[in-house]
Amino acid sequence: MNLRAISFFLVFSASLGLAQDERELTTEELKFFESKIRPIFAEYCYKCHSAEEKIKGGLQLDNRAGLRHGGDSGVVLVPGKPAESLLVTAITWADEDYEMPPKQKLPASAIANIKKWIEMGAPDPRGSEKVVLENSIDIEEGRKFWSFQKPRRPALPEVKDEQWVKSEIDFFVMSRLETAGLTPAQDASPELLLRRLYFDLIGLPPTVPELEAYGAALRIDSDAAYRAKVDELLARPQFGERWGRHWLDVARYAESSGKEVNMTFPHAWRYRDYVIDSFNQDKPYNRFVQEQIAGDLLKIKSDEEWQENLIATGFLAIGTKGLNERNPRQFAIDLADEQIDSTTQAILGLTVSCARCHDHKFDPIPTIDYYALSGIFQSTRTYFGTVNVIVNRRGTKLLELPVPDATPMKILTTRELEAIKSRLANSEDEMAELLANRRSRQQGQNNNNQQQLNRLRTTVAQLRARLNGHDANGVAKTLAMGVQDYANPVDPTVLVRGEIDKPAQTVSRGFLQVLHHPEVPMSLPRESSGRLELARWLTSEENPLTARVMVNRIWQKLFGKGIVTSSNNFGTTGQAPTHPGLLDHLAVHFMKEGWSTKGMIRELVNSRSYRMSSTYSKAAYTKDPDNALHWRSTPRRLDAEALRDAMLVASGDLDLERPRGSMVVQVGDVGIGPRVNAAVFNRPVKYRSVYLPIVRDGLPESLALFDPADPNLVTGDRESTNVPGQALYMMNNPFVVGQGVVMARRLIEEAETSGERLTLAFQLTYGRLPSSSEIEQAKSFLWNFISVAQRKGRGREEAGILALSSFCQGLLCSAEFRYLN
Amino acid sequence: MTPTEQLFSRRTALKSISSGFGYLAFAALADQEALAEGAAKTRSPLAPKDPHFEPRAKRVIFLSMRGAPSHVDTFDYKPQLQKDDGKQARNTRLRGGRLMGSPWEFSQHGKSGLWVSELMPEIAAHADELCLLSGMHTDIPNHPQAQVQMHTGTSRFVRPSLGAWTLYGLGTENANLPGFIALNPASGTAQHFGSAFLPAIHQAARFGSSSRRSARRVRGGTKEEVPNIKNLKLDTELQRLQLDYVQNLNRAKLKRDGDQPEVEGVIESFELAFRMQDEIPELMDVSGESRKTLDLYGIDGSASDGFGKQCLLARRFIEAGVRFVELSHGNWDHHRNITNDLPARCNEIDKPIAGLLADLKQRDMLKDTLVIWAGEFGRTPHGQGGDGRDHNNKGYTTWMAGGGVKGGFKYGATDPHGYEAVEGRMHIHDWHATILHALGLNHEKLTYRHAGRDFRLTDVHGIVAKEIFA
Repeated sequence: MNLRAISFFLVFSASLGLAQDERELTTEELKFFESKIRPIFAEYCYKCHSAEEKIKGGLQLDNRAGLRHGGDSGVVLVPGKPAESLLVTAITWADEDYEMPPKQKLPASAIANIKKWIEMGAPDPRGSEKVVLENSIDIEEGRKFWSFQKPRRPALPEVKDEQWVKSEIDFFVMSRLETAGLTPAQDASPELLLRRLYFDLIGLPPTVPELEAYGAALRIDSDAAYRAKVDELLARPQFGERWGRHWLDVARYAESSGKEVNMTFPHAWRYRDYVIDSFNQDKPYNRFVQEQIAGDLLKIKSDEEWQENLIATGFLAIGTKGLNERNPRQFAIDLADEQIDSTTQAILGLTVSCARCHDHKFDPIPTIDYYALSGIFQSTRTYFGTVNVIVNRRGTKLLELPVPDATPMKILTTRELEAIKSRLANSEDEMAELLANRRSRQQGQNNNNQQQLNRLRTTVAQLRARLNGHDANGVAKTLAMGVQDYANPVDPTVLVRGEIDKPAQTVSRGFLQVLHHPEVPMSLPRESSGRLELARWLTSEENPLTARVMVNRIWQKLFGKGIVTSSNNFGTTGQAPTHPGLLDHLAVHFMKEGWSTKGMIRELVNSRSYRMSSTYSKAAYTKDPDNALHWRSTPRRLDAEALRDAMLVASGDLDLERPRGSMVVQVGDVGIGPRVNAAVFNRPVKYRSVYLPIVRDGLPESLALFDPADPNLVTGDRESTNVPGQALYMMNNPFVVGQGVVMARRLIEEAETSGERLTLAFQLTYGRLPSSSEIEQAKSFLWNFISVAQRKGRGREEAGILALSSFCQGLLCSAEFRYLN
Repeated sequence: MTPTEQLFSRRTALKSISSGFGYLAFAALADQEALAEGAAKTRSPLAPKDPHFEPRAKRVIFLSMRGAPSHVDTFDYKPQLQKDDGKQARNTRLRGGRLMGSPWEFSQHGKSGLWVSELMPEIAAHADELCLLSGMHTDIPNHPQAQVQMHTGTSRFVRPSLGAWTLYGLGTENANLPGFIALNPASGTAQHFGSAFLPAIHQAARFGSSSRRSARRVRGGTKEEVPNIKNLKLDTELQRLQLDYVQNLNRAKLKRDGDQPEVEGVIESFELAFRMQDEIPELMDVSGESRKTLDLYGIDGSASDGFGKQCLLARRFIEAGVRFVELSHGNWDHHRNITNDLPARCNEIDKPIAGLLADLKQRDMLKDTLVIWAGEFGRTPHGQGGDGRDHNNKGYTTWMAGGGVKGGFKYGATDPHGYEAVEGRMHIHDWHATILHALGLNHEKLTYRHAGRDFRLTDVHGIVAKEIFA
């Protein structure tokens, strides 16, 4: 591992060198390369080290950049220093691990020529035509777009109906309604409003005692009761579970790498818990962002703080990864791209990644800005783990946290530890033998041999990973995903059309020019990646987007859609805000109030606008069918997590304890495939849905069917579909059927008469009392059902229980349970 | 049968009120104006839609061959390769770089005289229906990426699959069934069938899976392939009583709320699901098919049994109105042992596919059903380790049949050894554009706005090979 670290250091010093020696080659140098060196590479090396053929060991020798960059083992060429060049070690067969070409040593003259060439400074004309990519975008002009201008708090608009407004927000909403000739819907009924508030704030329905206590409080002072309830819900630990999940959507949180080789991330859950805890602490949003982008670089007072900050940087590590990428440079650039894409969409509401291959088609983001940003991430080392089995070429270490878990995730017994060690030793011996045999054979490659070797490599990798995950006493190490700076930051090379073999000029690391403000310096330190400066720039009050994007996300979760409906796109192709003044008012307010998420939520839900009913009005509908101006509350479907949690609450089965870790911890470091798949993760559990395993392309059924955030993408708005697969699940899935049974049992236990039982059922599911006709209908359903069941040969008691269970399940299936008005 | 059973258990009774169930319920409750508004909003996103122009094909059966079958041993006849067998390959430095003539005989078939190898005798009998695309090429010679690209156009990003785009463009004919069905998908291939940013309803319903256990179940023909398709506690009549109660609650809510397309959607999806319980297991249970039909597809307990069942299911789904069905067959990655393994694979699919073509033809459905056969790339003309071929993305062959393409036609060609496409070159983007064209869809106009721009299956590429259409 140390060797690896050193090699990375070399990689970056070499790339820096690359940027410097861009002088013209002399005729003599050119001639030497063309006549002596290129033929050697072509004849002996390209077969395994070229884009046309294979790129073994990540090393590409058919272009200058590839050769200078090196391969999996690090830098291979140090210009002027043949003795330090791994290339020379390899061709002289000086190290048994690097004997190249493997079957036959190069002729002595070729070796001498390569040494000489390296002494000359390795002049290499390939791909050195100086390409300079020009910026085609007028940044100043682009800056005029509304979202690139700093938000300013507008004056409160005039309204005619001053009786109606209760908060500053209401002025903005009412003013637009009045201008459009619309009237707001009446206030929602207390029980509808309470149900809405519970789901919006904590993702759970009110319990029956809570309903009743609230009813009593309402009679004393309804407004005070409501506000007190808001404060109470914001203070509950379930708040963080609800709102943390919203952020996890945006953070494309997952516990596996996704893509072709889908390896688990058994330590990702620490980031999940960090997010939940941060929302519960009401961590200021600017701080929250800084920790996720540059937590490892922030000043700290204690190990605990450092721990939290390191875990926060998991944000940059949990993205999708093409682990079977053969070319390490391609992988590094794709990784940086994924980080740019997620960071800019999540925090700035911009799709900066569009500029990877060409100047952004719509927004004032030139390709050179993209690469300036990319340099920051290319100077950052990402620790995401995963085991390097055959298909996974790109696994890394993990961060070892400063504060070990009080109770370790796992302890291996001495016996287990010894068993692993001895298996490892055996496998390594076997592998060495096999390799030695293979080397001694001159020709041909035995396939069985190769297969055996592959198997052994996987075994060794897995055993080593298990061993590395524990200390000498077998205690699981406390590990996390995250990032650290490389020792030497790199100034990025612009790539023409994003292709790694088409380098253009080198640029300085930096941010997006269009968001640049003179008060925030753009120059980055030479000695670090610049992530800390990036984090500060993102959360500066001069940044026109960050606060707007976040308040819009909060608004969207409470009102059903954002003020800017394209919540991940505040660029020119996004939607214009429906209430621009309100958006700016909220953004400025948010920053002034210390970026408090809870404060912003309190502000919004205490408004009268939030408390409207969802009553339909023909007149209003005709004028504003999309409810863009908010003349009523937009009805919403419970999302996947809330639906499952609400069923568990109704049946009384929900376990509010946070489970330790995740199911993914239990399956360990593996690839998701035939043996470890969604079926494994459908194991019935009773804890909250936010803790269910989030494996890419393998979400548990209870989530997968109900439009969860696709963890392959930054998700701002979830879909809300109505597909038959959902209906089949609600009708037939053993979990839902089972919840009906458990709930029926609960009704029987907690209430005496059939009338009381039915009443309780409605309270548990709809959060309200049933009407007398609803009671009558329910009774007649039960009677009818029982008589048919009895006719079909079921006993009286059995038929009764089946009927009550089916009734309960029916309520869980029904639209009123699954939607918020 | 009780009156309730008669009323509700047969899909025939329900089909008559199929797509408009909730709509009718709404009509009874709301005034005409609200109705019009509701109808505009609740029109199912999968309702049939008009294509951009007169289509040749109305539906697709995609036969996906995972692992990349060798084109030079099946559908791309290369006499020069036979002649140069054993010679050093010129345009490659890959290991074992000696050309390997196909160990199998090619001969001409049908009136068209199309060359097909002896490995596919049954399909060869349909030579006059086949449109060979021999100038195929794709970007990356790696299975996972190439498979994703074949399905979505790019392996670099998560994008909707061909089937999802088709469904998005055309909707589907039978409201009782999903519009896009994937049979026997391999695990970890969700992206091949995903809807990405398209609304989730466009993704494939996946039946059966490649794991050994469920593959056996598909062959066994039990009725429970679809998750949650059967209630283990309630029979149809009792479930209908339960559902009636639920729908009463839903309609009461609809009445209270006035305008609620979502509630309307809940009502409809329950009715479709209820009908699917009846229709899907029946469609997937092939025990009622005649021996003659089963034989036609090679469903006879032999090696062709498994894929034969899939082909038959595909025909049944297509006939029932499903827009896009994809079948999947694996283990075509013949780096070694090609002389044993390739004939075995061909044997597994030859009769089933021939049976499918024959069956579609006799039902007069081949003319507007586009059948596509494709691997993710081809294999090298030079051998690998003496008895295998390596990956080759530079030139390979796929074929289409039916759906208005020219039968007995070969479009495009590789160089004399079959290494690189040199004529009628068709990149995956071109292939996608051509498939959409057959369906009456202009690939440049089939767009979806996401993250601030209009996305296409073909990105900024794609040239329709109009030459292949009759």
